Amino acid sequence: MTIHLSTTDSSTTVRIIGRIDTLTATDFDSQLQDLFKSESTEFIFDCSEMDYISSSGLRVFLMAQKKFSQLNKKLILSGLQPSIREIFDISGFSQIFTIR
Amino acid sequence: METSKTLHLSNKLEELSVIQLTLDELGELWEIPMPAIMSFNLVLEEAFTNVVLYAFEDNLSHVIELKIDKSDDIISFILSDDGKPYDPTLAADPDTTLALEDRAIGGLGIFFIRKMMDDVSYNWKDGKNVLTMRKKLA
Repeated sequence: MTIHLSTTDSSTTVRIIGRIDTLTATDFDSQLQDLFKSESTEFIFDCSEMDYISSSGLRVFLMAQKKFSQLNKKLILSGLQPSIREIFDISGFSQIFTIR
Repeated sequence: METSKTLHLSNKLEELSVIQLTLDELGELWEIPMPAIMSFNLVLEEAFTNVVLYAFEDNLSHVIELKIDKSDDIISFILSDDGKPYDPTLAADPDTTLALEDRAIGGLGIFFIRKMMDDVSYNWKDGKNVLTMRKKLA
């Protein structure tokens, strides 16, 4: 799992590459912490290269969504692969995230 | 062709990498499409992680056996451990309709297992938890 950040004006794009699972979720979580201090008002998680997620990974997504929501900032998920989208649908997460 | 594979894993989360590699290998050997392998990976990660995190009350090393079996177009996963008796099939489904503030992650793992597999059953046999998960390949 690796993430790449790019910021333009008020928006930060987070490219998530690889697997977000039990083994990588903690690392993913700590890499997201800096985003909560960022001045951006909109965060786009580009998930087009994220090829696997389990409930450990979903936990980090949920925490991030809760945090951004408290901070009054916007989180958008984009480019979910169909099999990942299915996991978001089954878990009901599709309703609590903005998915593009 | 080999139609069955048994892994003896220790109760460490790092063993998830072994499960992942084995599934990738068997997927190629048995010509199982990638999306199905991904969902099996999810099912096994959730089941194995639950055992490692919650089944053992000592700090000792335990062997967790995973048998993967393919007969005709049915794939079976049989996970056995010598931890405390626990039947995950009795766990209540999480409420997937709750709003953001109320959502938690607990219970999602077994919920995924139920949703992804056709048949999930639990037995307590010879002092072991035995979880059997089956799926018909499309």
